[in-house]
Amino acid sequence: MKDFDKLSEGAVRGLARMNSRRGVLATIGGLITGGAMFPVLPVARASGGATGSGYDGVAPQSTGNPMDPGDPASCDYWRYCGIDGFLCSCCGGSASACPPGTEMSPITWIGTCTNPADGVNYIISYNDCCGKPACGRCLCNRNEGERPMTRPQLNNDINWCLGTSTAAYTCSTAVIIGVALKEE
Amino acid sequence: MRVIAALILMTAAASAEMPGVQNEARAKMNWMMSCQGCHQPDATGSVNGAPSMAADVARFLSVAGGREYLTRVPGVANAGMPDEQLAELLNWTLATFDREHLPADFSPFTKEEIAAGRVRPLVSEASVMREALRKGFQAEQRSAGK
Repeated sequence: MKDFDKLSEGAVRGLARMNSRRGVLATIGGLITGGAMFPVLPVARASGGATGSGYDGVAPQSTGNPMDPGDPASCDYWRYCGIDGFLCSCCGGSASACPPGTEMSPITWIGTCTNPADGVNYIISYNDCCGKPACGRCLCNRNEGERPMTRPQLNNDINWCLGTSTAAYTCSTAVIIGVALKEE
Repeated sequence: MRVIAALILMTAAASAEMPGVQNEARAKMNWMMSCQGCHQPDATGSVNGAPSMAADVARFLSVAGGREYLTRVPGVANAGMPDEQLAELLNWTLATFDREHLPADFSPFTKEEIAAGRVRPLVSEASVMREALRKGFQAEQRSAGK
């Protein structure tokens, strides 16, 4: 019994030496923060499903074309695979048109996205709309295929309102400009 | 759709009208992916941005140092594609946007020439070099009596 007492005392003291109360608090804090971040992950958004666009106060939209599936007012819409910004679909424009009073930037960054309806990769031009204050609705930051600042032509963290009369960024579009060839 | 893409690839024989272009569709796609975002679909460029290439890019071939400049200019040297496709794209660009100034004895860019140029990319000196070369355009035009 005495040995058992000694053994358990040693184990408990050892545990107390290796773990601080602040460490426990940090772990709990991490769990709370991590739990709060979980709904922003794509897995959580995908399982949400029936909530429509995924943005509060934004009604679901449709292109009306079965070969262009999905909701253009949702970040999950296929053409937005490389986008970083506010969706013009939620800002008085559409996935390929600017809201009234803004100007479409002729300078763009260009990538490809796979259309789930036919499995083909389309060339997408992410033209920014410029000239009004930032829309602030439907922030969508997917950036698939983005490269660091050392490759500015494929970087999305710069303001692409270039070649327009004003550099004020309003929102982003995703215009189909062509079909990508399959690699040989 | 896949069948069409395959057909396009099969008809990729070197075309006589575009020297050094093995696959015109691929060259056009690479142009869209890597160039036109800044140079514009018609290569006219933008104010304070990428310079215009329309109707004068092939004139660089007629001035000393111009051919090498084209392989080292940032947009070419930093483009994310293999040397072979980059050579094809450069040849396509010259034939598409400035066929008029393409020299009669033009020998297309090769992947070796591209590889040698792009390892020494121009940075901020590119615009200075471009202006110097452009001055040569005028002299070249006068001596040709045009």
